[in-house]
Formats: sequence, structure tokens, C-alpha cells
Amino acid sequence: MKARHLAAISRRIFQGIRHDKRTMAMIGIVPVAWMCVFGFAFSGDVKNVKVVVVNQDRGYSMGTTNVSIAATIVDKLQDDILRITEMDDPEQAIQQVKEGRSDGVIIFPANFTLRVLSRLINPRDNEQASISVRTDDSNVNIASTIKKRVADALLEAMNASGYSSPVNVDTSEPIYAKNARFVDAFVPGVVAFATYLVATLLTLISFVSERTTGTLERLLSTPLTEGEIVGGYALAFGLISILQVSILLGVAIVAFDVMIVGDVALAFVIAALLAVVGQSLGILLSSAARRELQAVQFFPLIVIPAFLLSGVFWPIEAIPAWLRPASYLIPTTYAVEALRSVMLRGWGLERIGLDLATLAAFASFFLTLAVVSLRRGRR
Amino acid sequence: MARTLLDNPPGKRLIPISSCAGMPPAVQTDKLTKQFGKLLAVDRISMTVEPGEVYGLLGPNGAGKTTLVRMLCGLLLPTSGTATVLGSLIGSPTTKTRIGYMPQESALYLDLTVHENLELFGTIYDLPGRTFQTSEEELLDFIHLKDRKNDLASDLSGGMRHRLSLACAMIHRPELLFLDEPTVGIDPELRASFWEFFSSLRQKGVTMVMTTHYMDEARRCTRIGLMRQGKLISEGTPDAVMAQAGTDSMEEAFLRLAGRKEANR
Repeated sequence: MKARHLAAISRRIFQGIRHDKRTMAMIGIVPVAWMCVFGFAFSGDVKNVKVVVVNQDRGYSMGTTNVSIAATIVDKLQDDILRITEMDDPEQAIQQVKEGRSDGVIIFPANFTLRVLSRLINPRDNEQASISVRTDDSNVNIASTIKKRVADALLEAMNASGYSSPVNVDTSEPIYAKNARFVDAFVPGVVAFATYLVATLLTLISFVSERTTGTLERLLSTPLTEGEIVGGYALAFGLISILQVSILLGVAIVAFDVMIVGDVALAFVIAALLAVVGQSLGILLSSAARRELQAVQFFPLIVIPAFLLSGVFWPIEAIPAWLRPASYLIPTTYAVEALRSVMLRGWGLERIGLDLATLAAFASFFLTLAVVSLRRGRR
Repeated sequence: MARTLLDNPPGKRLIPISSCAGMPPAVQTDKLTKQFGKLLAVDRISMTVEPGEVYGLLGPNGAGKTTLVRMLCGLLLPTSGTATVLGSLIGSPTTKTRIGYMPQESALYLDLTVHENLELFGTIYDLPGRTFQTSEEELLDFIHLKDRKNDLASDLSGGMRHRLSLACAMIHRPELLFLDEPTVGIDPELRASFWEFFSSLRQKGVTMVMTTHYMDEARRCTRIGLMRQGKLISEGTPDAVMAQAGTDSMEEAFLRLAGRKEANR
């Protein structure tokens, strides 16, 4: 294997990309666009949820002042997550949800404060105060946001009113990634997904065209070996992935102020390894696709499992146990895990070694298969 | 004076065609066979091409001409039989540096410029910078693409791509050229200039093995081999083949020896 030959193949890929603006866009702009779309869209919690509050609480008069715990809770509910309208008639409020104009109704009964206070004074009192939360559960995410907000507001209101709970759950000191937002946990996923996708798809397209136009034949008629061709592609896409990760991380830091506590160099190594896996997979698949159109048919095969099963956007733990082994057969899984550990936990080489080794094993396995598939073409 | 493209490859004396004795044959095959599944694409072909020859492979579509050429270029492994090219086994790296292959399709990188296409093959063949530059200059001159050097191959016309494809196969000054239907789909004028080029190459001792469907081209070969259903059914100088068929027309000879009517009889 000659370095000069590897460089020749890599250079031709870069030259081709330079002359093709669409490919350049796919490498540079598309992942950044994803990052922005997901970064803004999934910037964390659900916001602007429409809720109707029906507060019938009459409160409790203490001398000259009337205390209403319900009013305090409603006060605490006010923020950018819920958009509250108040109504008097519960039926009318529920109608709002039924007609799809609102996502939920929160009803405080007339004796709310009374019941809370009497229960506080006499814990053996059987009758509990209750807040009725009626949500439209057709969107689970929104419904659970409302429920969580009510629970949080209740706790805050009780504390503020001086009736604090005897138990305090302290979550203020996480072990890793303190103050992490959704987008922070999401960046490693985008980096891995974009790298894998671009390397696999570009190689697949480019290699199918090598086959259909006859340039592959031409290369194989020269002293160039199959290993040099595959190696040249790997070199090119390894470098492209490093470029891509630099752009992605740059945008993530500048636009979304993401947290990177670990060694960025390790992130590059992980991405480059994943790109090599992706490009050799692309070459392998190209041997099954005779035309560009058939290559397009492989896209879902490449995209969907990586998207759904490798923990890019939601944790592998959310995948049912019987399906989880499939996750461990997908190389992106290890890259996402390693990237997350490096970027959010600040883990070093010694802690992500196993993930890296697995990725390297995938890379060498697919590289070998790619070379073998090219050699088989001579049979 | 600088060496030109049409000079002999380095280290080779210029040898007149008549005095090739002692040099290994350019191509020698012994019962060379290629089978794809049930299809016998090349069936026990034994042939020899001497250095300096222009050998034409003729035959109807599907006769196995391209498969034979691809085996000789080391792109396909024979099912059985053996073959040597320039004295070494087919497919060996040393052989590959000494042969050039122009595939049927233009087989160019359309997303690269003319220069980048040539440069890629120059690098692959390990040409030193200076040698490559000289070679590229001369080839661009010959294919009349000097002023299109930095244009993308995708912007070239079909004929220009064809010329560039030939140039890519020639960049390393091979001793032996395999040309798979080199003149298909190009205009008569360009075809004439291709043949002028082939003649000048031949004068400099470059051996050529080409497949063709044009009878006038067959007549210009030193020898032709007629293939049908994977077999070499007739071989010799154009005159000898016509004589064997009992006609003085190449077209007629082809139809009589390799035509479908004959095949069905």
C-alpha cells in the first residue's frame, strides 16, 4: 500500500467535492441546519402550552386578610411554559379542551384552601384537598409537562406559604453535566449521526457512480490495489468528518453555547473512526446497488436504524429490552455513547477505551469486507 | 531533444515489427476460459499477439470480446486456462504498469477537470512530475483539449470525453494498449484521427488489442480474431480471414463466419 496512491484517491474525492456545490452543502451546511433546527425546536422543555385555570377557591379569612393557597399556586404556574387563561365555569373550560383550543384544564375547588389548612392542622382528617387536572393526553409530552408544572407549582406554593413538606429531595448537585440542557445532551447525537450519514451516503453515491461510469474498472486496471482504493476513500472521509465535526462543534458552541467539558481531540477521533465505518459500509452496499436509484433505496436502511436505535435522540434505555441487542449492532451507538461521555462527562481515553475499541473493530471489519467485496468483483 | 509520447517506453529499443523475435509475445493465452454461472463467456481461447501488432477482436454482441479483454487487463480472474501479457502473468502489478486500458464507456470522473483526470492517473502510475507534465502536454495537444484543460469533464462533448478517455489510458506511455470499442459513437472525422494516432503509435512499437464492430477498422489491423459464442472461430490477417470465408469483402466474411445465420445453422 503506497501513501502516494492513497493520497491520489483522497485528493480526487476532495477535488470532486470542490466542483460540486451540492455535495459541499451536504457536508457543511446540512448538518449545521439540522443542529439549528433541532437546537431551536428541541431547546429543552415544551413551551407556550395553552391551559385554562378555573379557580373557584374561596380562600380562608384570617382576620382581615383572605388567604388563598390556590391563588399562590396559580401565581407559581405563571411562566413561559404554560400560557394561562382563567375562566369561571369548569364546563366551559373543559369545552375549550374538547374543541382543541386548549391543552388542559386545572380546576381548584371552592373549599381548596379550607381543606388544605384543615388537613395541615389535623393530619387524620380523611378528606384531602384536590386539584383536578384534565389534560388532552393525545400529546403525551404536552400533558406530562402540564402535570409536572402543577406538581412543581404546588410544592413551591406550599413552601412559600410556610407549609413546607417535611421531606426535601435535593437534586442540586448532579455528578455529571450540571445545568445541562436538552441541547447539550443532543449535540453528541447530532455529531455522530451527521458524520455517519454523510460518510455512508456520500461514499455509497460516489462508489455506485464509480461502478456505473466504469471508473472503478479503470482504477482496477492500473497497479492500484483494492486496499489502496478503500484506504483512499477512508482517508478522505476521515478527514471530511473531522472538518464536519469542527463546523458542527463551532456552531454548537457559538450559537447554542453547549457544554463541552472533555477533550475535544477525542471527539474528533471518535467521529473519524465512525466516518471510516460509514464509508466502508457505503462501499459494501454499493456492490449490491447497480444503479444510483437502487442506492437511494438503501437510504432508509442506513438512516432509520441509526436514527432510532443508537441513542442519538433518546436513550437506549427507552428501547424495549428485546430490541436492545439491535442497538449494540449499530456502530453509531458506540460513537454516541463515547461522544456523550467525552463532551458531557469529561471522560478520558481510559474510560471510553471500550467504545473506541468497538468502533475500531467495526471499522476494520467493514474495511476488510469492502476490500473483499471489490476483489470478488473479479470472479 | 525531449522524449515524446510516441517514443518507445524507457529502456526499450525501437524495434521494427519484423524483428520481434526474442521478445515475449505481447499477449499469449492458453485455453483461457471464463464462465459466469451457466454462461460460457470465453471458451478455451488460445491466441498469441506479437509485439507491435494491431490485433482486432471482432464478433457479434455478446461474443465474449469484452470479457476476454477484461481478463487480459487483470479485471477478471479466468475460470480456467492461463494467459501472459508482456511475458508476465495477467493481473500482476508489474504487468499493470505496462498496459493501458480504455474501457467501452468513457469512464471519466465527470466531477473532475480534464487536468485532474489525467493527473489522477499520472499519480496512480507513479509518474514523476516532469514526465507527467511532458506526457500531459503532448496528449492534450493530440486530443485538442489544451484550452479546455481546466474545464470539468462533464462540460465536454461526447467526442471530447472519448478523446480524454484515450488520453487517460495513455498517460503512462504503455507498451500495450487494450481498447474496448475505442471508436464507437464518435464522428467519422474523429475516427480518422484516432486511427492516425493508432498508426503513429504502432510505428513506435506500441502493441494494440482492440474490439471493434467496424469492418473498415478490421481491415486496418495486422491480424483479426473472429469470436462467436465465446470461441475464437477464425484468426489471421484480414486477407486470410476473407479468403477463408471465400469472399473479398470483410463485411461478407464477418456475416459468413460469425453471423447469426451461421450460428443458427
